[in-house]
Amino acid sequence: MAVPDARDGGNAHPRAATSQPHVLVVEDNSLVSDAMRILFEASGNRVSVAGSVAEALGVSANDPADLVLLDLTLPDGDGLEVVAACLARQPEGRSVFVALTGRDDAATRQRCMAAGCRDVLLKPVPARELVARSRSWLPAS
Amino acid sequence: MNRVDQARKSVLQAGPQSRGPEEQLRAALEELAELRAREALQSQFLANISHDLRTPLTAVITHAEILRDGILGELTQRQLDSVRGIINGGRQLLSQVGEILTYARGSANQLSLDPTQFDVREVLEQARSLNAPLFEKKHLASRVEVQPDVPLLNADRDKVAHILANLLGNAIDFTPPDGHVWLRASCLVDGGRDCVLIEVADSGVGIAPEHHEMIFQEFAQVDSTPSRPHHGTGLGLTIARKLVDLHGGRIWVESEIGQGSRFFFTIPVEVAG
Repeated sequence: MAVPDARDGGNAHPRAATSQPHVLVVEDNSLVSDAMRILFEASGNRVSVAGSVAEALGVSANDPADLVLLDLTLPDGDGLEVVAACLARQPEGRSVFVALTGRDDAATRQRCMAAGCRDVLLKPVPARELVARSRSWLPAS
Repeated sequence: MNRVDQARKSVLQAGPQSRGPEEQLRAALEELAELRAREALQSQFLANISHDLRTPLTAVITHAEILRDGILGELTQRQLDSVRGIINGGRQLLSQVGEILTYARGSANQLSLDPTQFDVREVLEQARSLNAPLFEKKHLASRVEVQPDVPLLNADRDKVAHILANLLGNAIDFTPPDGHVWLRASCLVDGGRDCVLIEVADSGVGIAPEHHEMIFQEFAQVDSTPSRPHHGTGLGLTIARKLVDLHGGRIWVESEIGQGSRFFFTIPVEVAG
């Protein structure tokens, strides 16, 4: 079954077409985002990938995700801008935002939590642990 | 005293000078603001480095884990062993990256404490079980002994675990097969403060008294013979000392050549956050 992809523009297929949880990976390094896609599709999710703030906002406007895994260092801005924009647009939205960052400083952690992230994880996170944790962030299937 | 503290001191001490007290105060405050800005930039710089190193490492390790877990097809045993080699290599590299960044932050006085209440025994047991495969490989006996009067610690748990990991790593490296490593915790009043005293004791090759201070210095290794197995970059004890100092504790060693080594460090029971 063909699944809508962020690179389609994400606007052709209604979300109700699938009951799989939707995971949006916001990451500009394609080596990492490819690995995330494989992991999360293998554990039964529909995965979109966005490589910039603009792309991420585009996807979530048309196709809000259940879980947004955010890298913070993006070519066109800070990943937390995505959180702010989504929360502004849909304060009651059900998207869970988790920062998956390579920045190891305390200030980054504080900023993420203050911006509305459910959690901040320092990458690399062991694959099994990441998938296990994601189950607590995603709606029960 | 670092430059920020010096600037603060000159603000407080700004007194009558030929330039006038107000001008002196303003100049000191400007310097303080400049130093703060530079500190923030330095922290960002180190965080950027962390990101730049961790991102490709994430690619390597995660792709290897995908192969390991059979997500893209089952592997033969030999393929599995090879993939595990990639993961272990990646994790070793990650550990070194972490050490170097901790060292860099420590040098820039940018390490901060995140105190929580925890049981020292848990941290000792965790360190012991994390190293279980290495203990087994070298047939080393290990033991955790915590005195009954040792209270809960209010300290930075991750950093205490880090200190232990570095001491334990050395103990294992420098102890020949069939030896032992003991982990002990007891109470001590040090410098008028209630502390927990943690000890990592090994039956290893020992350290000559004239080297007891030098081993805590950057990049110093007592024996740089290429054939001897050594532990990483030589930063382990330097970092351990930095993390102990951050808590307001002390670290020292008792050892003689051929007599094994006992590394001690204190952590005040109540650490200022």
